[in-house]
Amino acid sequence: MANIKVLVAKPGLDGHDRGAKVVARALRDAGFEVIYTGIRLTPEQIAEAALQDDVNVVALSLLSGAHNTLFPKVVELLKEKGMNDVLVIGGGVIPEADIPGLKAAGIAEVFTPGTPTTKVVDFIKANVK
Amino acid sequence: MDVDAFAGRLSFFWNAHNNVLEEVAKFRASRRVWAKVMKERFHAKKAKSMMLRFHTQTAGSMLTAQQPNNNIVRVALQTAAAVMGGTQSLHTNSKDEALALPTTESVTIALRTQQIVAYESGLADTIDPLGGSYYVEALTNKLEKECWEYINKIDEIGGAPEAIAKGYIQKEIQDSAYKWQMDVEAGRRVIVGVNKFTQEEEPPKNLLRVDGSVGKLQAEKIAKVKATRDNAKVKETLDALEKACHEDESTNLVPFILAAVEAYATEGEICGVMRKVFGEFKAHTAL
Repeated sequence: MANIKVLVAKPGLDGHDRGAKVVARALRDAGFEVIYTGIRLTPEQIAEAALQDDVNVVALSLLSGAHNTLFPKVVELLKEKGMNDVLVIGGGVIPEADIPGLKAAGIAEVFTPGTPTTKVVDFIKANVK
Repeated sequence: MDVDAFAGRLSFFWNAHNNVLEEVAKFRASRRVWAKVMKERFHAKKAKSMMLRFHTQTAGSMLTAQQPNNNIVRVALQTAAAVMGGTQSLHTNSKDEALALPTTESVTIALRTQQIVAYESGLADTIDPLGGSYYVEALTNKLEKECWEYINKIDEIGGAPEAIAKGYIQKEIQDSAYKWQMDVEAGRRVIVGVNKFTQEEEPPKNLLRVDGSVGKLQAEKIAKVKATRDNAKVKETLDALEKACHEDESTNLVPFILAAVEAYATEGEICGVMRKVFGEFKAHTAL
């Protein structure tokens, strides 16, 4: 697929974006078109940005512990906007025990600390619609 | 305004990473640079204005999710570096913070790490214990020189606020973080338990679970405050704050904010007024 467009976004009150920026840069270097939203966005702002930029992938990063609330909310809003094909992935400080619940809520994959960036790139290539 | 009137109250917030001697040199170099900047550029006269005071937090980005007990050792080394580098106060991270919010047990270990360094290690017995070490002095000189190169570059751009607005400072930090990650992925930099000395692990147990009812409880408490406070008084103080926001830049907003707080306006309401008038900071997000 040519020209995969990725929105890297940080929902909620969490300023930690070293990881999000490293991933964004790695995705860009892998040939994707990458937009980074900056920190402290609401799920509504993220869904709106995804719609406006017509992205194929939304990559959410969160280290504050609010992932169980905010990640599913983004998926829900994307669906409300008719973006049913967008691949939503997440990363950050996310306990293993929360991952099945997030997947059930529509987060295709969750990447935790220590994941090589190449693994994220490969996952997107294999799963983007 | 006379620089000596306030400079003594300024303080810094540093991070402590893994390379102990480099970190000590970093703290030492920053003190030298600050003293020179205050004396030579801003013509401070008081010694206190030239003293760089700093808080240190151990580096969250250096914690690993793999073999999390190893983080206790990392944090201890970072603590040692901060203390030998002369920090005035310290925040030690907990071993499980790459996995979840920390448990009481892991926070206690982080606190005890500080106490062991303070009371048992002897590292706090003297000021600048590595001063005079050939290697640390050479590294301090090198870092100081590189600091001045950055300061000159930022001056060329038009100063720090302009450099932030143009994304220069963020870009330098991002590039450095990206290079670190690529070095780890290529094996040029060893992180124990991540890209070397790895082992099969069970998923970590005993992580903190935050009860979802906490959010509900807090929402109920706010609703109760809003129902029982003098809402006419709240509106009056928020209106006064809004009016003050529209005045010229020299208007001190703190008394207006205090009046609103005393009337039990919420932080959200107070910030909402200021957001309405000033908008929000838009960060530079170029990669």
